[in-house]
Amino acid sequence: MSRAVKPQRKALNTVLAWGMGLLIFFPILWTVLTSFKTEAEAIADPPIWFNFSWTLENYFTVQERSNYFRHFWNSVVISVGSTLIGLIIAVPAAWAMAFVPGKRTKDVLMWMLSTKMLPPVGVLVPLYLIFRDLGLLDTRIGLVFVLTMINLPIIIWMLYTYFREIPVDILEAARMDGAGLRDEVVHVLLPMAVPGMASTVLLNIILAWNEAFWTLNLTAAKAAPLTAFIASYSSPEGLFYAKLSAASTMAIAPILIMGWFSQKQLVRGLTFGAVK
Amino acid sequence: MSTKASRAAARLMISPSVILLLGWMLIPLGMTLYFSVLRYNLLMPGDNPFVGFENYSYFLTDPGFTAAIWNTLALVLGVLVITIVGGILLALLLDQPMWGQGIVRILVIAPFFVMPTVSALVWKNMFLNPVNGLFAHLFKALGLTPYDFLAQAPLASIIGIVAWQWLPFATLILLTALQSLDSEQLEAAEMDGASPLSRFRFIMLPHLARAITVVILIQTIFLLSVFAEILVTTNGGPGYASTNLTYLIYVQSLLQYDVGMGSAGGVVAIILANIVAIFLMRMIGKNLET
Amino acid sequence: MGQITLSQVTKRFGDVEVIPPLDLQIDDGEFVVFVGPSGCGKSTLLRLIAGLEDVTSGEIRIDGTEATDLPPARRRLAMVFQSYALYPHMSVRKNIAFPMKMAKVPEDEQNRRIEAAAKALNLGDYLDRKPGQLSGGQRQRVAIGRAIVREPAAFLFDEPLSNLDAALRVGMRLEISELHERLATTMIYVTHDQVEAMTMADKIVVLRAGHIEQVGSPLELYRAPRNLFVAGFIGSPRMNFIEGAEAGAHGAHTIGIRPEHIEVSDGPGRWQGRIAVSEHLGSDTFFHVHDTGLADVITVRASGEVGLRHGDTVALTPRADQIHRFGADGLRL
Repeated sequence: MSRAVKPQRKALNTVLAWGMGLLIFFPILWTVLTSFKTEAEAIADPPIWFNFSWTLENYFTVQERSNYFRHFWNSVVISVGSTLIGLIIAVPAAWAMAFVPGKRTKDVLMWMLSTKMLPPVGVLVPLYLIFRDLGLLDTRIGLVFVLTMINLPIIIWMLYTYFREIPVDILEAARMDGAGLRDEVVHVLLPMAVPGMASTVLLNIILAWNEAFWTLNLTAAKAAPLTAFIASYSSPEGLFYAKLSAASTMAIAPILIMGWFSQKQLVRGLTFGAVK
Repeated sequence: MSTKASRAAARLMISPSVILLLGWMLIPLGMTLYFSVLRYNLLMPGDNPFVGFENYSYFLTDPGFTAAIWNTLALVLGVLVITIVGGILLALLLDQPMWGQGIVRILVIAPFFVMPTVSALVWKNMFLNPVNGLFAHLFKALGLTPYDFLAQAPLASIIGIVAWQWLPFATLILLTALQSLDSEQLEAAEMDGASPLSRFRFIMLPHLARAITVVILIQTIFLLSVFAEILVTTNGGPGYASTNLTYLIYVQSLLQYDVGMGSAGGVVAIILANIVAIFLMRMIGKNLET
Repeated sequence: MGQITLSQVTKRFGDVEVIPPLDLQIDDGEFVVFVGPSGCGKSTLLRLIAGLEDVTSGEIRIDGTEATDLPPARRRLAMVFQSYALYPHMSVRKNIAFPMKMAKVPEDEQNRRIEAAAKALNLGDYLDRKPGQLSGGQRQRVAIGRAIVREPAAFLFDEPLSNLDAALRVGMRLEISELHERLATTMIYVTHDQVEAMTMADKIVVLRAGHIEQVGSPLELYRAPRNLFVAGFIGSPRMNFIEGAEAGAHGAHTIGIRPEHIEVSDGPGRWQGRIAVSEHLGSDTFFHVHDTGLADVITVRASGEVGLRHGDTVALTPRADQIHRFGADGLRL
């Protein structure tokens, strides 16, 4: 856009875009604001915008009553754990497909992605029963496993597209320089792929953090991550808007911040490299 | 570059992923198929006799099933239409020169990072609630009777909530695609006397085709399985008014403990998803292979 | 040591035979250049020797030991790639140290060799930079440094100069030649540029479609090309080929005569023609002569500046002892 734009036009664009942006963002903003109100202020009519007595009380109440940090920690363990395990399984596979492509490589990749097309509800019953029989219901390890499997195809695909941008010459040079397979991957490939791996990790933590089918169906209390913990607010008792807001704010804040930092890579990751 | 040694290494390195995914797919799939032909209810212990297609005929003739199919379709299509049309308009707006573009982008993308249970609960209580919700306040301020969204128009409300979550995704991808459009092309068209509308129709829209396809593909995968939003807002009700296929099967298997029926439903869901997948892949194939 | 022997080596990619059965002997300390047009299989051949590709059949021996199935890491060869293939995340020092780190060379020995290589290649000031901050020529030197420190049995160069601009290319050509003089290690060098082949090689291997067309010293190839392909490929500008009656007069199907072996004058001569284009290089002048009735165009060289211009009619006289004769099968008679 090298052309000069009239300032009036630019001002109009700015007003329109900020208006739309704030409208879309408003529910989040409102939730955050409400989390600092008292319950009475939270439901006041007409609504109170900023002129209320700011309090952190709701945050303390949420933590005291329902041990918020346990669920937060569950979310961390499950999302980070499943992402890292997925990465360990996916790096060798992506290396193989990116650097030793065969006739069937594309088919294998498509098949891996197609497992994402399988509706989770189609395998809900057997998985639930397997988990029950193995004592994995409501355990973090069980959820780590499920989320690893769900996100594995995405991790493999993302790594594959990033690896393919690394010139194969450099890996061959490592081989000529006397590097074995492990040295080639650890000393040459992975350091070069750091940006791609970082965005893969970020995106998968976000997806796992927000996953709300298996986390709701396979946990009860002990291992429940934030998705399931928040769902327990769906049958309210008394006034609870401010506390709901506080719990919600804490549940979305870490991911919101991570997401804002990684939005550029997100496009590429989520579209499997189809849009850059 | 490939030698026998590197090909052997490649096979070895890809096998954990293949074996895990194969197991992940085939074992539960096989069990679902097997359970779907048994009379098997967790509340009624005893042997689980083979009943053939009985579960399927019950499931397919269940009044909930037809409702769930239509609701699923309405949910997927409704959200797709809103997010793609809205996404294109927003992307066009955000692509214009303005002050604070980066911040607006951050505001617009935010809902995508909100977990489904949070967004559903926030919308349900703080906005759509007929007594204390902001919309109720707004209606009263305008002298109208508050409207009970989730009771009167449950499906439309859920479509609205889900669309709010996915609009950022569509916008971000379409915006990225738009920014990759060569501005010389547009300038050339302008020199040729093309109106803004025809510039959009003949240059921007074809350029966006690929991005739109990607949005449709990815959103459809997720939208077919919308679950948490329904669970925490309406529980599928009133009646079956907001029950989609995923939720229906969940009710039958985990709330009514009917493993047989739930499995039959699962098989049906898999078949339908595959039909959609094949249809999508055809479409994608055309748009992505170039 | 660095003696490499290929016996009956073949390579197929699927159904396509890239290298038909091929034998080649490379002696210790030789500078061997594989030259040929693109797609002739010269890079594939180099990669087979390197171990980056498997041979389909046949045997490769390095210093008398069977190496056909050894992984590249264990062949004691060092390679310089066309793209230089430097590790972008490592400093120059780390790049050069990498092969020694892999070979578990002791730290102080590593440093000694790095200093020596840096001194020899003028890299002293750049050791702590990343490859991205270096110019093409400097990257090339780092790649060579990384190869030297391994003290390999042989160096493999895969079109190492083709990404450099013309002036740098001449300089690097000399540096590599000097390096070979100094180290006296076997070097195998792949290029499509016959000038590089002529100026650097002890032995040139001319390849076409995976076949070895001729092996010999630069002068052997220049003086006695075995067939039309080699005759046309070696030497610049290209040899003139004449068929028909004139060739018949020499008892051949085709005769070849290099531009530098034709006398040009405005007086009488064996052939007549008209100058279409003249290229003045200062030291030499090349004339592209038309209407000789022999071939579409005959290229001739005159030394220095000659007062002939576009459109002039000239007389051409080939040196009788420099006429190459070829039969109908393209082979030298």
